Amino acid sequence: MNENISRLMDGEVDAQEFDRICGEMKAPAAMETWVCYHVIGEQLRGAHGVSTRFSTRFCAALAAEPTVLAPSARRARSTQIATAAWAVAATLAAVTVVGWTAFSMVDAPPTAVARAREAATIRAAQAKPMPDLPADYLIAHQEYSPSTAIQGMAPYMRAVVVTGNEPRP
Amino acid sequence: MIVMIPSLQCGAGPTRGKSARSIMVAALGAVMAFAADARAEDATRWLERAAQAAKTLNYAGTIVYQHNGHVETSRLVHMLEGSQEQEKLVSLDGPPREVIRSSAEVRCYFPDAKVIRIEPKTFRNVFPSLSVEQLRNLSQYYEARTVVSERVAGHWTQVMVFEPKDSLRYGHKFWADANTGLLLKARLVDDHGEVVEQFAFTDVAINEKVDRDMVKPSWAAAPPDWQIKQGSFGEMLPKETGWSASRLPGGFQKIMEGYRTLRGKRDPVAHLVYSDGLVAISVFVEPLSGPSVQTGLAQQGGLNVFTTKQDDYLVTVLGEAPPAAVRQIAQSVARR
Repeated sequence: MNENISRLMDGEVDAQEFDRICGEMKAPAAMETWVCYHVIGEQLRGAHGVSTRFSTRFCAALAAEPTVLAPSARRARSTQIATAAWAVAATLAAVTVVGWTAFSMVDAPPTAVARAREAATIRAAQAKPMPDLPADYLIAHQEYSPSTAIQGMAPYMRAVVVTGNEPRP
Repeated sequence: MIVMIPSLQCGAGPTRGKSARSIMVAALGAVMAFAADARAEDATRWLERAAQAAKTLNYAGTIVYQHNGHVETSRLVHMLEGSQEQEKLVSLDGPPREVIRSSAEVRCYFPDAKVIRIEPKTFRNVFPSLSVEQLRNLSQYYEARTVVSERVAGHWTQVMVFEPKDSLRYGHKFWADANTGLLLKARLVDDHGEVVEQFAFTDVAINEKVDRDMVKPSWAAAPPDWQIKQGSFGEMLPKETGWSASRLPGGFQKIMEGYRTLRGKRDPVAHLVYSDGLVAISVFVEPLSGPSVQTGLAQQGGLNVFTTKQDDYLVTVLGEAPPAAVRQIAQSVARR
């Protein structure tokens, strides 16, 4: 079965085999293998999205799976429908999980790297206390700076921070 | 381009070919300079729009200030009522400090120290409409351009970049709201491309109703045990001080000169302001008083300060420029 799943993923199966393997995929173990292979595959390939064509065909095939109607039990029928519904739900969940995993693998590193870089570039190394920065001078300067005109009151945050060391009277 | 065609046609002999080439180069240079001017003009018009928006719109938002590995968050509210501006800035981290800026004065409240500082507002800060000459000046020292729009605090913005052509100024990146022009984010970058300082709204309501209560100080009157520190007395009148800085980075011009009385100073302090159109550098000169004066460089985010002694005077230079620029200027301050 694992080999079949592998071949299915590699697109090496014909239409008939495809339907048969899809049927077998209802088994939870098969589904787990399928998800596992995809996650491994994504990792190896450097995280490309899951083939939407595949998941579409997979879901369609699953939905078209014939439901065997036994005359004796309405109960059995409803159980079967429920099983099929669960299978569809499981498939969607699996696709979602893989899709999400792939998405987060695509998205997370660049964003995280960019954020980390941005945070790092607000240079901690340059941090140097400004104990005696003349607050009066700063406010006097601020009133003349084009940056105050462009940015409004925001640069006064410097003054609030600087004069944070306001000596107690 | 018109110059290029006849010069190509007559470029037969080696000498003429050479001159044709040089004309072409000159023409190309002129075209490129023109294009750079046009780009600078476009970016500068956006800044003028931002300056106008900052003064005339009602807005309230949360603003984050990042510098030296620190992050500080404040609440900022701006109201225009008639022709009167009233603004309030409240720190959300640490002690609840406030700055109230009105047309008449700037008040800073420090409840932790039980101090109120009051500075008269002596100057209507207006971003100057740059003349053609100043624009050329700006494009001579910065590579200016507008880049693709980005979203900031849920608003689409126009992004403007000013890359310096020398190491005596920081690079600037501005994000202005595409609809109103209000600046939503501003970043200073050093010559290694590292962010020195950044202001950014994380959320902002623009053109919504701002009540007068939203811009009032949290203390209607100073509590009796608080100390009120009054700043300079009266208006500072422009006046020749006899001081000047000789080694200014290119493009910096004096925009103001005068004396002001600063708190705790016996003598008036000479104050000169130089600007390249984007930032300002202030020069303060005062008679030396007391034996212990801290000299050297200090820095906070995009603001650098250099203090040095000049005979019997103390020279303090501060501005939104790299350490090398404030040091160079401070060391060149002398009597005219």
